[in-house]
Amino acid sequence: MSNEILEQHIQSEYKWGFTTDIETETFAPGLNENVIHALSKKKNEPEWLLEFRLKSFKVWQTMKAPDHWAHLPYPKIDFQAISYYSAPKKKPEIKSLDEVDPELLKTFEKLGISLEEQKRLSGVSSNIAVDAVFDSVSVKTTFRETLAEKGIIFCSFSEAVQEHPDLIKKYMGMVVPHTDNYYAALNSAVFSDGSFCYIPKGVRCPMELSTYFRINASGTGQFERTLIVADEGSYVSYLEGCTAPQRDENQLHAAVVEIIAHKDAEVKYSTVQNWYPGDKDGKGGIYNFVTKRGICLEDNSKISWTQVETGSAITWKYPSVILKGNNSIGEFYSVAVTNNKQEADTGTKMIHIGKNTRSTIISKGISAGVSNNSYRGLVQIRKGATNARNFSQCDSLLMGDTCGAHTFPYIEIKDKSAVVEHEATTSKIGEDQLFYCKQRGLDAEKAVGLIVNGYCKEVLNKLPMEFAVEAQKLLAISLEGSVG
Amino acid sequence: MIAEKTNTAQQIIDAISPKAGKVGFIPDNVLTNAMLYLENKGIPTNKHEDYKYCNVDAILKKEFKNIKQELKTISSVNEFKLEDTVTLVVVNGNYSAELSDKIVLKGLHINSLNNLDAEGKKQIASIADAESDAFIALNSAFSGQGFHLKIEKNAQLQIPLHVIYISSCEGEALVNPRNIIELEANSEATIIEHQIAFGTGKTFTNFLSEKIVKENAKLTSYSIQDEKENGFSVNTNQVKVERYAKYDNTTITLSGQLVRNNHNVVLAGENSEAHLNGLFMTGNTQLVDNHTLMDHQVPNCESNELYKGVINDKSTGVFNGKIFVRKDAQKTNAYQSSKNILLSDDGTINTKPQLEIYADDVKCSHGTSTGKIDESAMFYLNARGISKESANRILLNAFAGEVINKLEVDSVKEYVEKRLGF
Repeated sequence: MSNEILEQHIQSEYKWGFTTDIETETFAPGLNENVIHALSKKKNEPEWLLEFRLKSFKVWQTMKAPDHWAHLPYPKIDFQAISYYSAPKKKPEIKSLDEVDPELLKTFEKLGISLEEQKRLSGVSSNIAVDAVFDSVSVKTTFRETLAEKGIIFCSFSEAVQEHPDLIKKYMGMVVPHTDNYYAALNSAVFSDGSFCYIPKGVRCPMELSTYFRINASGTGQFERTLIVADEGSYVSYLEGCTAPQRDENQLHAAVVEIIAHKDAEVKYSTVQNWYPGDKDGKGGIYNFVTKRGICLEDNSKISWTQVETGSAITWKYPSVILKGNNSIGEFYSVAVTNNKQEADTGTKMIHIGKNTRSTIISKGISAGVSNNSYRGLVQIRKGATNARNFSQCDSLLMGDTCGAHTFPYIEIKDKSAVVEHEATTSKIGEDQLFYCKQRGLDAEKAVGLIVNGYCKEVLNKLPMEFAVEAQKLLAISLEGSVG
Repeated sequence: MIAEKTNTAQQIIDAISPKAGKVGFIPDNVLTNAMLYLENKGIPTNKHEDYKYCNVDAILKKEFKNIKQELKTISSVNEFKLEDTVTLVVVNGNYSAELSDKIVLKGLHINSLNNLDAEGKKQIASIADAESDAFIALNSAFSGQGFHLKIEKNAQLQIPLHVIYISSCEGEALVNPRNIIELEANSEATIIEHQIAFGTGKTFTNFLSEKIVKENAKLTSYSIQDEKENGFSVNTNQVKVERYAKYDNTTITLSGQLVRNNHNVVLAGENSEAHLNGLFMTGNTQLVDNHTLMDHQVPNCESNELYKGVINDKSTGVFNGKIFVRKDAQKTNAYQSSKNILLSDDGTINTKPQLEIYADDVKCSHGTSTGKIDESAMFYLNARGISKESANRILLNAFAGEVINKLEVDSVKEYVEKRLGF
């Protein structure tokens, strides 16, 4: 029984695999200093930013691509074959939605992220401000004016560079330095756009802020940067979603996300990652190599990562929190689903430096097909991090006997007052659970959906409402009919 | 990470080669491969994932700059003998028939690795692959004249065997004890492997044991490690467990400046089981690293691991356990638990419990926790007039007791408790 349904599932298709026929301006493939100069000039960047890019490029050239990663075999990426800039031609100066290229609007409508709808919904309490990033460039940020009234800055990274250079200069590279790792260095050199968000002192952001990423053009890579700064006593909930067209080639997505939380601030960052995962033979798909890190800079701050990972051919991502301030809190909630030939290697790092710091890690992995799904994480309690507390739980669910589920937790403790717990289990959906559901009239597929949703509930509950609905649907589609 | 090669291996080879005799019993191809491995890969540094928390290369470089290989002989081991056991003695890696007890036990065959018949020879390096690890390679290249121990089919050894590995030297030396322990079908035995260092010299013990537990046999093995502050060791146990067989090991680390244990168990036959237990109580600047691998190759096997550590002063404790469930190993039950207490602010505990699973119908879990002495338990005892020190001892005894109680031979248990001050 299980095999049949698995087969069905394997044939279920990626629904976001269309391409949009839109006029774009794209750089010829290749990477050298000239490309970086051209990119910087195109974006009318100040001198210091160009220097930052060149500095990063130099560092990147001296680094070696990490080709030795356990469970992550992937062909060498030819960085000269990628175009580092692609943007819709009709980009400049959009004041209202009417001026946005209708083709583009249609794309976002197809994605279920209708900017028009956002406009109509304005005034409704549960609305979302969206910053849509199409290929490399942010095309439209909604609700800017409403947010500006509260002093919140939410705009594309390029605009922020022009309008708030002091903030960018102060915070960019603070959490993820340009020397951090191979892909972070590459991003620092060639990043094209992204989102910037600043919440001033004491402000509670009235709506969810959201970035939507879409890779469209072929032969391009997407290198965006997100920077979120939450000043003293502020709060923000930030959402991120992504899709890409269906292509036979592998496309690279190497993003950097930095979060800085000042005293008493709280940042909640939620991701639903649904890049094109490749077809059932593992052809095509996105390589998702991103560096995400937040720092609880001062006392009583909190950073929470929630992620639902269903897409990408290879996902390699460890959203981390540096708990520097006393009493600061770090959280990581993750659901990672892999199917067909997908590979996911994801987890988190919790670095406890301040006193009374707390962290929670809940990771749920689901593997099906011939995929591999790994949790890789680090909990580090530094000396002097008195009364640090960590709880980690990593569960894996296997569907079928051709996939793999792995756990690699690293726990390093140098303070005697620390209390650290880690639990991990691996199992399949119980025959008795299935039987119970079926006996009550659910078919096998619905029963699996129900059980998987229950299994992931701890994490899904952490998502903002709008996202939780989407995530549940996505889970159902990603696992259509997988019965273990 | 790509491990970089250092020249430590070459320096060691140069230092010990002149005094090392030819190792006659290691097959030529194994010898060649071992040397090649050392030449190409060298001694692992902390860039090597398996040695991330245990930089043997740096320790060897620092502590064994001047290996002289001036080994000393031992005239008596009476002071180390344990009650109600039969003693076997290995001095500086070489099996000593003279110092060993001359008692004939039914079904027990002991032979020097030098004097094996064709069948016995086949077992040498049959499960310890010289190309899988630098220390297996090093041992294979410079192996001491160890022993081959066989328990005959259907034989049940009533008296536990106590194997004393004693090393003694002037200055600095490297010794490579090696043995093969084979339990034939339906046999049963308890073997205590006891490592000690004697005298003032500094020794690096590179221990290798190949253990084969055949159909329905049962091997209970205890490793007692007590090489004092001048003892450095890497101990590899390569174990193969066949159908319906059972392997039980308890490793107690009492002392040793560096103790690295590689305990690799292959569950090769259906319905076999393996249990690994460990206890380490460290102090000063000791480094104790327990590395285990449970390789579930076939269906319906069971494995269990329980490792406990108490870390004091500036010492470091490491536990790295890996449960590997192969594609066909359905209905596997594997459990792993690591619990640690950190007593000082300068101590470090690193744990890395790993699950690598390729079969779906399995029950695998691991748990690890690190904490301090329970304050409420301490208060309870203090309130009843028990001093802080005594209460500490009682609580640590209770914590360690779970592992110590696995020692079913009274004289061993008493020895361990006495050495730990309980």
